[in-house]
Amino acid sequence: MNHSAQRLPRTRSTLLLMSLFAWLLMTMGTAQAAVQIDISKGGVQAMPIAIPKFLDIHPDGSVNPSAAMGNRISDVVAADLERSGLFQILEKKGFLQDPASLWKDGPSFKEWRLTGAEAVVSGAVNDSGGTIHADFFLHDVFKGTAVGKGQRFSAPKQEWHLVAHRIADEIYSRLTGEAGYFTSRIVFVAERGDKKWLSIMDQDGLNRTDLTEGRSLVLTPRFSPTGEHLFFVSYVSGEPRIYRWELYTGKKFLEGDYPGLNSAPSWSPDGSRMAMTLNKDGNAEIYVKDLASGSLTRLTQNPGIDTSPSWSPDGRRIVFNSDRGGSPQIYTMSADGSNQTRITFEGKYNAAPSWSPRGDLIAFVKGGSGGFGISVINPQGNQERALTSSWMDESPAWAPNGRVIAFTRESQGKGSKLYTIDLTGQNERIVPMDADIRASDPSWSPLIH
Amino acid sequence: MITKRSNLLAVSLLSLGLLAGCGAVPGGSPDSGEAGAAGTGQAGVGEDGRALGRHDGSSAYLDGRNPNDPSGRGANGEPEHRVFFDLNSSMIDARASDVLAQNARWLGKRNVTVEGHCDERGTREYNLALGQKRADAAKQYLISQGVDASRIKTVSYGKERPLVNGHNEAAWSQNRRADLVP
Repeated sequence: MNHSAQRLPRTRSTLLLMSLFAWLLMTMGTAQAAVQIDISKGGVQAMPIAIPKFLDIHPDGSVNPSAAMGNRISDVVAADLERSGLFQILEKKGFLQDPASLWKDGPSFKEWRLTGAEAVVSGAVNDSGGTIHADFFLHDVFKGTAVGKGQRFSAPKQEWHLVAHRIADEIYSRLTGEAGYFTSRIVFVAERGDKKWLSIMDQDGLNRTDLTEGRSLVLTPRFSPTGEHLFFVSYVSGEPRIYRWELYTGKKFLEGDYPGLNSAPSWSPDGSRMAMTLNKDGNAEIYVKDLASGSLTRLTQNPGIDTSPSWSPDGRRIVFNSDRGGSPQIYTMSADGSNQTRITFEGKYNAAPSWSPRGDLIAFVKGGSGGFGISVINPQGNQERALTSSWMDESPAWAPNGRVIAFTRESQGKGSKLYTIDLTGQNERIVPMDADIRASDPSWSPLIH
Repeated sequence: MITKRSNLLAVSLLSLGLLAGCGAVPGGSPDSGEAGAAGTGQAGVGEDGRALGRHDGSSAYLDGRNPNDPSGRGANGEPEHRVFFDLNSSMIDARASDVLAQNARWLGKRNVTVEGHCDERGTREYNLALGQKRADAAKQYLISQGVDASRIKTVSYGKERPLVNGHNEAAWSQNRRADLVP
């Protein structure tokens, strides 16, 4: 890292060095407190942040005026942070210090204060070889200090977007105190005409790759806890069967092949087991299969429909959907099927529960007189809260940090698109997608760090 | 699934009471449909195969068959291979039992796949289970009419294969169905 603002003043006095160190620690602490966003509160005021164009540089550090990667990186960083709803990205035209000066001389805090920015990011990118290196620093404008250290991220050039998402995660994490979620992917069911196929993209909707060709109906892809495997339901045999796809080998394994319905696959958090819905014993019930041994355990036993299992992050409990009480409602049980307890009582249609990776909330689909929306409730069945409502919102899927939920929104006559909503319920965004592609059933990968 | 008659009757009466209040209104609110959960979803086929439910009168038929003709027969003498269901229900009603009885006689030694379907509202996974329950209810009725169980396969498509594209009760009532594919 070659950044003058980050160099500690040299001194021969140990005492002075120690006191300087102590002072740095103190100011670092207060600096972080000054720019910290408290996202545990309900409504959050977006933090004004300045993200100037990253400087394109040669390997020797000199400016490379013919390169354009710096702008692409800083645009993706800004877009990630903006979509989170926690940051207000300031207009570049109001900036008083140019990117070259910002990078070489460090921030002129006096000037940045005039822009209204509470934090400013400086960055430089070298992509002259086959590898891209991006360096960035984050500064607290009010305190006039760095927030954390400068950091470099490198990747093969064609994966420049990963570098940008990684920087956005780092900024998010330093300013909120929580893990980011930008370096992650979403797998979903894409649809055009009569065809449905599996597709995968970055969480911001860019960089989409199709996984299947749409010759047979596919439903409900589910990322494994490591992001290396998918479960999904396919009708390739003519009947709904559950497959496991090893993404990096392309191999597919038939994991749910019982007579009748095989649906609603769900990974245990350790990746060793699959909960699913089978009707092989005459009625839709939840079973758990040990993937290594193939052994099958039945968890529910009643004449109603039991489906949509989702594990708690500690693997000890499962939330699911059952209409045993007369209408579809949310229940929890221990992972061995004991202690089955109903947790939703408001309304006549509560379904498709998904346990947050933080463990503190369960997202689900709530049907009411006006349509269907995404709600959250805590695992004890308290503090139910609606986040979205529309004609048909469904299939909530948590971002890896448990702060944002992706879901499917079906509009009458227009087909379905993917949206995200954060836990405040105030920051709803459509996930950018080709206009002729409909999308449903998102599943969010873990962080790819 | 065979449900004890006493339970079934109670469940059916409950369904009827609730249904009366939110019957099928074309273009009505989601409460009036598949996901309104007015029914219990518990009803199946009585042990003697006799239907205990009723039709709510909202279905329209696309195939030109007179909906008031209880014979379940199409114009050329071949039975209709399709039965319809009430909202959120897998109960075989009087009309459906007639149609299935016709099919049971017509099938003879043929094999048949029963496909269960739902309307577009409600979650994908719940509807997959509900579609399966409808296919199973139709299968049980066919068995009660003498069709060999080994000749009947069931498959649920949930809400994936609507018969009619539309966003009102007129469309929904035709999409809540089981198709018999000989």
